[in-house]
Amino acid sequence: MEERKSHAAGGVGSFVLWTLIGFVGALVVGWVVFPKLLYSRREQPIRFSHTVHAAQGLDCVQCHHLGPDGRFAGLPTTESCAECHGEETGEDSPAGREIDRLVKDYVKTGAQIPWLIYQFQPDNVFFSHAAHKGFPCSQCHPDVAAMDSPPPYFENRLTGYSKDTMKMWQCERCHAAMGESNACYVCHK
Amino acid sequence: MGLDRRAFLGLVAGGAIGTLCTPIPWKLVDDAAIWTQNWSWLPKLPKGQIDYVTTTSKLCPAGEGLRVMRVAGQPVTASGNPDHPLSQGGVSALARSEVYMLYSPARIKSPMKKSGGRFEPITWEQATAELAERLGTAKGSVACVSGDATGTVNEVLSAFVGQLGSAGYFLMPSDATTAARGVKLMGGAGQAGYDFENAATVLVLGADIFETWGTSTRNRKAFAASRPVGQAPKTTYIYVGPLRNNTAAVCDQWIPAGSADLGVVALGIAWHLIKAGATSPAPGFEAFKAMVTGSFGPEDVRLATGIAPDTLAAVAKTLAGSKAPLVVTGSPFGQGLGAGPFIAGMALNLLLGRINRPGGVYALPELAAAVPGALGRAAMLDGDLPGFFSGVAAGKTPAPKALLVYDANPAYGLPETAAMTKALEMIPFKVSFASFWDETAAMCDLILPNSLPLERYDDLATPYGAGFCLYSLVKPLQKPVHDTRTTADVILAVAKKMRLALGYDTFEQVLRAKVATLAKAGGFVAKDVMPWQVAAGSPAPAPAGDLWKELQAGYAWTMVGQVMQTGLGFVPGVLAKAVRPVATPTEARAALLVAYAQLRTGTAVTGVPCQDLTTVPETELDGRTTCLRVNAATAKKLGLRDGATVTLTGAGGRCQAKVCFFESVINGVVAVPLGFGHTAFDHFSRGKGANSLSLMPLAEEPGTGLSTWIASEVTIA
Repeated sequence: MEERKSHAAGGVGSFVLWTLIGFVGALVVGWVVFPKLLYSRREQPIRFSHTVHAAQGLDCVQCHHLGPDGRFAGLPTTESCAECHGEETGEDSPAGREIDRLVKDYVKTGAQIPWLIYQFQPDNVFFSHAAHKGFPCSQCHPDVAAMDSPPPYFENRLTGYSKDTMKMWQCERCHAAMGESNACYVCHK
Repeated sequence: MGLDRRAFLGLVAGGAIGTLCTPIPWKLVDDAAIWTQNWSWLPKLPKGQIDYVTTTSKLCPAGEGLRVMRVAGQPVTASGNPDHPLSQGGVSALARSEVYMLYSPARIKSPMKKSGGRFEPITWEQATAELAERLGTAKGSVACVSGDATGTVNEVLSAFVGQLGSAGYFLMPSDATTAARGVKLMGGAGQAGYDFENAATVLVLGADIFETWGTSTRNRKAFAASRPVGQAPKTTYIYVGPLRNNTAAVCDQWIPAGSADLGVVALGIAWHLIKAGATSPAPGFEAFKAMVTGSFGPEDVRLATGIAPDTLAAVAKTLAGSKAPLVVTGSPFGQGLGAGPFIAGMALNLLLGRINRPGGVYALPELAAAVPGALGRAAMLDGDLPGFFSGVAAGKTPAPKALLVYDANPAYGLPETAAMTKALEMIPFKVSFASFWDETAAMCDLILPNSLPLERYDDLATPYGAGFCLYSLVKPLQKPVHDTRTTADVILAVAKKMRLALGYDTFEQVLRAKVATLAKAGGFVAKDVMPWQVAAGSPAPAPAGDLWKELQAGYAWTMVGQVMQTGLGFVPGVLAKAVRPVATPTEARAALLVAYAQLRTGTAVTGVPCQDLTTVPETELDGRTTCLRVNAATAKKLGLRDGATVTLTGAGGRCQAKVCFFESVINGVVAVPLGFGHTAFDHFSRGKGANSLSLMPLAEEPGTGLSTWIASEVTIA
């Protein structure tokens, strides 16, 4: 009888303890390990400093502008970069070497810089920047204006999308809050 | 504290509860759903700077100006260029597909050489060396077939073939070849051009002017402009033909008539005009009058065509009472019409005094050639390719030692296909410059793939049907997708290798020289003032300062001018032989075959554009079977039931078709679509339906000597 009591008491304690270990372990795996496994970290092809360019007096819209028909022209082309960075600097500073790499790899070859887009939406989403013109850019995008180096880009290994790609519920929540339609055809043509 | 069974269960339970409190299950389910949508074969939209550039369509016979949207320098879609007179913002299904066809699986990706019955890729250096060597041995007997009736590339090719020793230079048969033969037989000069924009009444004999005939997009724009929505129409359009096609469907009146009877109908209308007092100072009028009044009276025409005398009398009255009548004659499917019906239609224009008048038919001058020794367009149009191949197949005409095939697919796009294929097989060395794997390329020994129009320099000069002289530039909007080159550049390089003097190193140089000749000819760039406005009396704008620059910007050079006619007249001798009633089939299971063409099924050189395939209804192509359209009365006579699969047997061959009742076809006729039945290209075109042209036998038109295949009889079983 004594042996059975003892077994029962120790068993409950052990059970609770191992349950807690399992619970905490799962939390650690789920919140710490899993994201590292799910996302691969990538860096932008060129370390572009927004702060340096902002200090030169450049406005955001000089590079990130809406097209004449209201479409967002996205990112500047290599040709736009070449307007200022047409030739290698030969400077032996980190910034100089980065500029020289831009000129050598892209400006001279005519290749477009494969920028990684943090908020890249899939092709089945029709998002109009013209319709969202009144909002500050940083409401949806990382506030890169004050960054000397672009933040890392995390790509979902399963979907191929950026970690920062806005989900549909986020679009819907904002639309609902603003009193805008959430009908399918508003975003999916 | 050991991990016994109970502890293990606790660990699992804790792990499970903990996992539910993490993103793992929820994120994985969501991502897995997205992952299932990410197939590698799904096309991706390019992202980047959007811009719009202009060029001209070469794949579409209507020759529209195109406005192409590019993303990051890559063309993604095309629409009509609002500033171009042949487009005015409109575009055909085929021209719109030019962008998508850059990536067609049917494209030839590099030079190919046939070896042991199979094609093997070779380099351009090997290909041009082989071409130079083989043409060197074939000197004195080199022929060329071109499907491009409007490009300066013909000057390069014809001068090259001329220096090698030409065995013939042929354009693929079309309404342009028919019209050229007709004008020549009438003693006229220049290319027939139709001023739809200034016409008040248009009588269309057979020609599908709003679908495939001539500058069809511009024709539609002219029609729409004269018939504003909600207002009374300013023009009257009457269609005479065997089908209520896309043209007949929108005209004010459709007069059902067999396609072989169009000449009879025209002369029947002439009878009414002459009876009403119409006369003409043109040569041959008196003999023409005697022929018409003697043989084409109302009762003669009724017996031949079934058209009531009152109907033609009303048409004649409408034409005679119109301030600007115009008669247009053509084949309902764009080829095979004899010169006789064309001459009969032009005789009506002569009777109505509509030659070189606003709203009438202009005799357009030919643009000056840039390449020394090149053939003029009239000389090229004078060739009779089906007749030539027919002679070769029958052993009556010697086969050339070498054949160059440019932008043409004679193994598919000619009547009596079996005989044409036999003739091609008899030619020992054949070179194709195709962009797509077509039926002719498959028969050739060497393929030097041409870049597509969006990847090359090219041009378009006064397409048949335009009412004014026109020149428009085609310019490369992107680098070639595959290892292809512009054929004219290849020919110039080979000529240099063979020490033949063509006078230029690159095709761009040729085009610049051509543009320089235009600047000397006068004319103007169509911007604020269009050529039909100048024809109607508006002052012509001043010539452009830098014409090349204007053409690069997508504008077209135009000129309103005409060739003065000194010898153009009625040719009753020709008409008496060429225009005769066609006998109705006497066999119980026989009917006349009428084909119809649509740009959505492409041309012989493009195959069916895959993006347009979904627009083909099941009443034209049901699965892999072509549909045969027949009205209920004819079906009853032939013993056909709706939906049945039957075999059509013509003099040129046989094919299967599914019966589809359709009341927009006249009695005694079965209608079949063109554009199907490919044995080459890709899976979008290959093995779908039958090639109706293969059923049609070739016949020599009496009086003109031109090959025709407009009246084909088929038996149905």
